[in-house]
Amino acid sequence: MKMQENNISANGFEQCIKCTVCTVYCPVVPVNPLYPGPKQAGPDGERLRLKKGVFFDESLKYCLNCKRCEVACPSGVRIGDIIQSARIKYSRHSPSLRDMILASTDLVGSTATIAAPIVNSVVRLKPVKAVMDGVMKIDKHRTFPEYASRTFESWYRKHARASQDGYRNHLSYFHGCYVNYNFPKLGIDFVKVMNALGYGVHLLGGEKCCGVALISNGMINSAKKNAAHNVGLFKESVENRKYPVVATSSTCTFTVRDEYPHLLGVDNSSVRDNIFLATRFIYGLIDEGKVKLVFRKDYGRKIAYHTPCHLEKLGWGIFSTSLMKMIPGVTFSMLDSNCCGIAGTYGFKKENYQVSQAIGKPLFDQICSIAPDVVVTDCETCKWQIEMSTPFKVMHPVSILAEALDLEATAAANR
Amino acid sequence: MKFDTIIIGGGLSGLVCGISLQKKGKRTLIISSGQSALHFSSGSFDFLDRMPDGTPVENPIEAVSKLPAGHPYSVIGRENVAAYAGNTKRFFEECGVTLSGDPDRNRFRITPAGVFKRTWMSIGDFALADSDREKIGERILIVNILGFLDFNTAFIAEGLENLGSQCRCTAVKIDELEHLRKNPSEMRATNIARVLDRQEVTDKFIAEVKAALKDEDTIVLPAVFGLKNKSVTDSIKSSLGDRKVVFIATMPPSVPGIRTQLQLRSVYEHSGGEYLIGDTVDKAVVSKNSVMSIGTVNFGDMSLEADSYVLASGSFFSKGLVALPDRIFEPVFGLDVDCPAERKDWYSTQLFDRQEYVSFGVRTDAGLHPFKSGEPVMNLYAAGSVLSGCNSLYEGCGAGVSIFSAMRVADLISNKEE
Amino acid sequence: MNEPEKKTEYDVIIIGGGATGAGTARDCALRGLKVLLIERHDIATGATGRNHGLLHSGARYAVTDQESAQECIKENMILKKIARHCVEETDGFFLTLPEDDLGYQAKFVESCRAAGIDAKIVDPEEALRLEPSANPDIIGAVRVPDGSVDPFRLTSANIIDAKLHGARILVYHELVDFIFEADRMTGVKVLDHVSGEISSYYARFIVNAGGIWGAGIAKKAGATVNMFPAKGSLLIFGHRVNNIVLNRCRKPANADILVPGDTICVIGTTSTRVPYDEIDDMRVTPDEVDLLLSEGMKLSPQLAVTRIIRAYAGVRPLVAMDDDPSGRNISRGIVLLDHEERDGIKGFITITGGKLMTYRLMAEWTTDLICRKLGIDKPCVTATLPLPGSRSDRMEDISGKISSVHLNPVKASVGRHGDLAGQIAHKDDYDLSLVCECEDVSVGEVSYAIDNLDVNNLVDLRRRTRVGMGTCQGELCACRAAGMLAHAKECARDARKDLVNFMNERWKGMYPVSWGETLRENEYTLWVYAGVCGLTAEKSEKDSKVPETKED
Repeated sequence: MKMQENNISANGFEQCIKCTVCTVYCPVVPVNPLYPGPKQAGPDGERLRLKKGVFFDESLKYCLNCKRCEVACPSGVRIGDIIQSARIKYSRHSPSLRDMILASTDLVGSTATIAAPIVNSVVRLKPVKAVMDGVMKIDKHRTFPEYASRTFESWYRKHARASQDGYRNHLSYFHGCYVNYNFPKLGIDFVKVMNALGYGVHLLGGEKCCGVALISNGMINSAKKNAAHNVGLFKESVENRKYPVVATSSTCTFTVRDEYPHLLGVDNSSVRDNIFLATRFIYGLIDEGKVKLVFRKDYGRKIAYHTPCHLEKLGWGIFSTSLMKMIPGVTFSMLDSNCCGIAGTYGFKKENYQVSQAIGKPLFDQICSIAPDVVVTDCETCKWQIEMSTPFKVMHPVSILAEALDLEATAAANR
Repeated sequence: MKFDTIIIGGGLSGLVCGISLQKKGKRTLIISSGQSALHFSSGSFDFLDRMPDGTPVENPIEAVSKLPAGHPYSVIGRENVAAYAGNTKRFFEECGVTLSGDPDRNRFRITPAGVFKRTWMSIGDFALADSDREKIGERILIVNILGFLDFNTAFIAEGLENLGSQCRCTAVKIDELEHLRKNPSEMRATNIARVLDRQEVTDKFIAEVKAALKDEDTIVLPAVFGLKNKSVTDSIKSSLGDRKVVFIATMPPSVPGIRTQLQLRSVYEHSGGEYLIGDTVDKAVVSKNSVMSIGTVNFGDMSLEADSYVLASGSFFSKGLVALPDRIFEPVFGLDVDCPAERKDWYSTQLFDRQEYVSFGVRTDAGLHPFKSGEPVMNLYAAGSVLSGCNSLYEGCGAGVSIFSAMRVADLISNKEE
Repeated sequence: MNEPEKKTEYDVIIIGGGATGAGTARDCALRGLKVLLIERHDIATGATGRNHGLLHSGARYAVTDQESAQECIKENMILKKIARHCVEETDGFFLTLPEDDLGYQAKFVESCRAAGIDAKIVDPEEALRLEPSANPDIIGAVRVPDGSVDPFRLTSANIIDAKLHGARILVYHELVDFIFEADRMTGVKVLDHVSGEISSYYARFIVNAGGIWGAGIAKKAGATVNMFPAKGSLLIFGHRVNNIVLNRCRKPANADILVPGDTICVIGTTSTRVPYDEIDDMRVTPDEVDLLLSEGMKLSPQLAVTRIIRAYAGVRPLVAMDDDPSGRNISRGIVLLDHEERDGIKGFITITGGKLMTYRLMAEWTTDLICRKLGIDKPCVTATLPLPGSRSDRMEDISGKISSVHLNPVKASVGRHGDLAGQIAHKDDYDLSLVCECEDVSVGEVSYAIDNLDVNNLVDLRRRTRVGMGTCQGELCACRAAGMLAHAKECARDARKDLVNFMNERWKGMYPVSWGETLRENEYTLWVYAGVCGLTAEKSEKDSKVPETKED
């Protein structure tokens, strides 16, 4: 009998057997009673919404989309996807100016970069913070990420592009908005490390924001447009040029691999297996014996590693931690599995600030008790949140590699 | 990626096996496709409550020798079972989980439905009664938290009054928990426990209990304390001084079960073990009765290799076994499963009778190697509730089978390599 | 029994608390009669609660039985007015598949129109756009005013209104014997299953509204009604696959109706003659499940991959014509027997046959007969007077009046109780706490049902509120609800036994479909109830005073 062989409902909502495990791991439930919780908002609510759309509840917006419920679920229910899909399908709430500004990371980024020194100092001013808080509903406690005065792309064009064709192997780099506008140094580190490993780094040629902030702020049509555009670039890279796509941001990686097909209905199946997070890609090369890493002898760091939520969902934290553990001179501590609370633009919003900080508190406390030289994580927004909420500096594993590798010796070994 | 041993399943069995192997210096990886059945624990471990024919068991170690040949305890071996049972308390103590009870004696726990149920060892603070006929106190105060629906004081009171105790039920209100009540569904044991993990909130709870207390000699509380902060549980006991404090399990999620899971995982990871959660093994290469490699959904093309593999994937709930209308199969390796072909033979029409499907699982040889197409797979071991040969619910042997088979597998793997 | 029998005088005693009995009680009470209704289990436990819940347009009968079709469409339009909170106007499609004769469609539409049913031929593509779950291979579709009806709510609303008009309702009261004075039936001896006492009640007329069990009741009175029980099995899927009723456009056959109802949908039915002595214990066989699935997939292929949460079966009360005891000439129409005329038993009336759709008409006919005999000249108003719950103009207003952040439990209760939901206390956080998380049933709603709706046990509670009817089938909510019942009835011991009965009753519908998630769900349920809670069969119904309800 072929029937009932493969019982599967949309996002697996009907595979839920009401075991309540998701509620144990939701970071929002303990701190925000307005949020119905993953079980009610997700699979329980979905049945009711299928009965009648009036059962959609705007309070689903309190979901961080951290996917911790999905990681915990023993039934394979994509709880976060159910909730986000319901918001896409039913929400009549149109994004505010504040949400549009927070979501439009690339547009705002390109404008702010031009005027970076002014923007950075202006957003630090008290009166400006008060206006942002009062008018824009961006919490005044929030430290805004600084904008770089020159984008990564312009650095790349000036300093790197010319030499990239000279390498034996090649990849396309999805740098994301953060590297481009806020923190080009990570992109520069990535190019250094990959060049040392014998890889030429190429830009995709007009990548757009992955769309994660557009999705969480309800700007689905813009997100879909960005997704379709980016998948087109991925196809060009993977299928025509045979370059894999590598990103340094765990959230960008997760979004383009999983949220595109699950939430936006943008098919990426022909390229998905060739989109990697940097640490996953580098570890894969080591695992297959394709590259050799030569570390500096004088390196010493006490590292505490935080796994970003979306990296937990990707299941790839092990690659970042394994790379860190390989480095001689590194004292490694694994931080407990906890959400930092920022969840992209969520924590920037005035109404979420308290919740956001309460969610992150166990993590901040643990970092302070370990007192590492540096906290390491693969996510830019986790970095902002941790740097704002603790006295510790946060670095990306690729930047740690850039510091710890003897780049010349490594380059020689991989020539 | 290469490991000494890869364990599929991160519940009680997988973690006991993983910790045991890490202690022996093996590099292990656990892959878990979601959180485990420990989240619904009763707070106690069963070893063997009754024989397959229903006879109640007083001394489980003795009873093991009378079990049929295919029973997991028989496969593990009576001597081994006795040794592991004797070891269990210490093993868990070293993991930071205190057990009470004796290896060779069953006792009774009071269930959330007010029933006395036979069990073996309990986690931490659950009181075990020596018999189901003796009262646990003369006058008992049963305390609930206002608005918490998953702790049924009326049932517990009725059960205790049957034995001649006088019971009084009360519910206390704690301001810090009121925000949870604003949410219609999230007043759950674990969410309550997260708030009560703050010592100052538990102190308020203690004060409320003291205020409610009259001449009762015994206090019954829901097991919603010490999810991550065990010291709050100790503080309750010490603050209520001369009164006997008894914790009774709540409906799921189970605070003591989750605490145990978190504790075991933490010990495992701190000993260097790798734990992948939310990932599913979807590829397995088996050649010449030997597992060559496996792959997972998240790892995609990158294969995972090990000298030995352990299948601790659980039963139907955890998808260690999968039931379709016309067959039951083991999804990772396609191993031989002991079960009747016809669906009507899988179940009893009375829910609380022995449900046959609970006993289905993979058959193994004496070395706990499961069979594939009639041949044992020599570098693969099975442990926990994926094993066939016992009805863990009817016999009350789930935790014992999980723990002892995991310890046995760890021994077999390390002995083989030595 | 040594006690002196209480001599209570009623105008009418109605035996049977299905839709027909409840409807008759309401109609009689509305016409000023003094009414007593007795029911041996709970209301709506017989065939009333064990069918599709289809609000027939009559289209299904149009070709074969014009009379039934006409009755259906009239009642369909009445129920849409008087019982708005019990029905949902989904409309229905009659689909022609490639294997069906498209020629039948023309005949079908013509017959529908003749019966007064608004049947429109719809382009298959348009039909698929309106109902994407329908089989994409369809070659024809006809749209008719089918809908869904919740039989529990409908029966309950009739009972509530009967009580509001003075009727007395005794559930868990079983007929032991009839009392006669000469050739006139004057009363009934009734066993109260809760107290164990037997009492006598007297009335001028006694109505047998026992459905298929009516044959046994008539037999006790010395009359013979030939009934031929036909078992119909159905499957409940975990969520709504379709929002428009799907039928096959062909001669009525097995598994050719898929009805969306509340949070779920139902495929059915099979049809098998069963011996009369088996009607109290209907169980669905694996073969029936397979048949329902394989046929149902033809209506909507999605059923092949949708989780099934239950299987259940009902018994249709098919009545043989009086002149044909062989049973070959079966009527699906309404059968009203005046036993005075027929058998010389004065004061005894049997109402049977018919279907859920015509319960109101059956009640009207019965009440008309009684009124005629009593010389009462009062018109029937049940065709126009809305039932309690459907009296407010706008259902949305009710949930709007109750302000809370978490409104879903309130919205859900309005869906179940209509304007009566205004009586449910939703004033504080505790009232809004969820007992049943699948169906969003709050503490307030459960309390309301226990206090106002004759709830004796968890199964009764489920019929009033949908507690335990979601995908988890009681796994989370049953223990919470049992705790509330223990509190309300001040008896934890009974509540615990009731809990065992309830979980067992849920399992009865689950085991025929126990694979995949349903088996996982059951394993988890056993961990919780048998493992953590330590409940066992030994402590179950054996010494319970309330009889086991054999139903789904």
